[in-house]
Amino acid sequence: MAHIHLEDGSFSLFFVLLWWTAAIILVGIAIYLMRSEKKPDRRKITLAAFCTAAAFAIFQVSLPIFGGVHLNLTPLIGILAGPAAGSLVVLIINILSAAIGHGGWGLIGANTLVNIVEVFVGYSCFRLLKTTIPDLFPRAGIATIAGLFCGNIAMILIIIISGVQGVNQSTGQILTGLSLLAAVNMGVAVVEAFITGLIVAYIGKVRPDLLGDELL
Amino acid sequence: MSSTMISSHIPDLDLITSYAQREGTFFSRVSPWTKFTGLLLVILLITLTRNLVICGVLYLIILGLYASAGLPVKKLFAWYTLPVLFVISLVGIMVWTEPGTPLFSLNMGLFALTLTDNGLILIITLLLKALISVTYSLFFLMTTRYQHFSAMIYRIFPSPLDQIFLLAYRYLFLTLSMTGAIFKAVRSRGGGIIHSVRVQGRIFAEVFALVFIRSFDRAERVHQAMIARGYNGKYEAGTDMPKPGLSGFCVIGAFVCAIALIVLMVPNTGGLY
Repeated sequence: MAHIHLEDGSFSLFFVLLWWTAAIILVGIAIYLMRSEKKPDRRKITLAAFCTAAAFAIFQVSLPIFGGVHLNLTPLIGILAGPAAGSLVVLIINILSAAIGHGGWGLIGANTLVNIVEVFVGYSCFRLLKTTIPDLFPRAGIATIAGLFCGNIAMILIIIISGVQGVNQSTGQILTGLSLLAAVNMGVAVVEAFITGLIVAYIGKVRPDLLGDELL
Repeated sequence: MSSTMISSHIPDLDLITSYAQREGTFFSRVSPWTKFTGLLLVILLITLTRNLVICGVLYLIILGLYASAGLPVKKLFAWYTLPVLFVISLVGIMVWTEPGTPLFSLNMGLFALTLTDNGLILIITLLLKALISVTYSLFFLMTTRYQHFSAMIYRIFPSPLDQIFLLAYRYLFLTLSMTGAIFKAVRSRGGGIIHSVRVQGRIFAEVFALVFIRSFDRAERVHQAMIARGYNGKYEAGTDMPKPGLSGFCVIGAFVCAIALIVLMVPNTGGLY
């Protein structure tokens, strides 16, 4: 998961509640969409659960590239689980991560919003580019870059709007600091795009049924 | 290093669960709802206050609770790596432009980076807040039984979110163990040696893809097994949980009063907006 690299107590109570409410609304819509399926597929729940466990496990792995980075995998979650189940998956991963100190409890709402953006944009790009770019590797790579880029913008907007408690800087100064972080994140996004492309190409070769007809 | 431990700076879920199931101390018998309300109140307090002294005192109280529950303090300090890095990665950038009395300046040629007193207070306060949050979270995890967590998830979250959460929590240990085993296999075959970004990327991509494919395979097998045992799309976790007793309500009430007093009387508190 791309994370707002802040812990509990960084945002004021108003913004903690605001982002939590926005995230609950989006997750509520995802739950409604999943519940209102005419033919509910119970297999989807089990698959989403394992997707959560796999993504959480991989999220904890530090890659020995550029001195050590960890992957976000949110666009991949979107591609594999779809935007509705993917939104629930990212909320659960954020809760589990907060429990072990990888992000704060109060920041779960804001982080879930950022991740939902990544899931949604990643999935949509991957689906929309189906006819233009049939090859899975570049398509998944582009979808990942697009998803993480939009996630980065969402992250910057959330921090700019909320401010950080105790920081007495102008918006321009905060933006300069955040741009530095966003640039690093985009560097990691390129690595992630390459890896996600390989993962999706590998899955497409070994288990194409996991991607489904609508995405292949 | 247990089988579910991928990296030494990440809290070990096997160890956490082992402590939780041991139920050796008084805190293990406290109602999970009391501890959960305590978590919410701790988060509320560190959200409302910017006072360094309050944060320091609260951290020492929670560290004391953690230690008195017989939980591993040395391990806790190792697990602090992640939240500390988290704070430093973003606030560590902001801290150099914070206005205040200069304490230290670093000449970078074209510009100078200056650390001020306010910048230093900011980073210490946010670090303390992060440590308070993670210490209490781990205290809560390590003194609450797995069945009680499952029951809380089942009661708090709506379906199908609770179902995904419960199944994911159930299989997290298996997946972490599987990921650890795959990485051990890769390392033993020279995969840990630094190669080019392309080679390194390909190795890790194949490992991650394998984790996903094996997870999905396992998901399907488990789904079939669950259907064979009468699974109808609802995984119930209705374990009875101890309700907060009179003492639990008193502790929560005292904590709420303390927060109210702090908000009203202590400077740099009341970060509502």
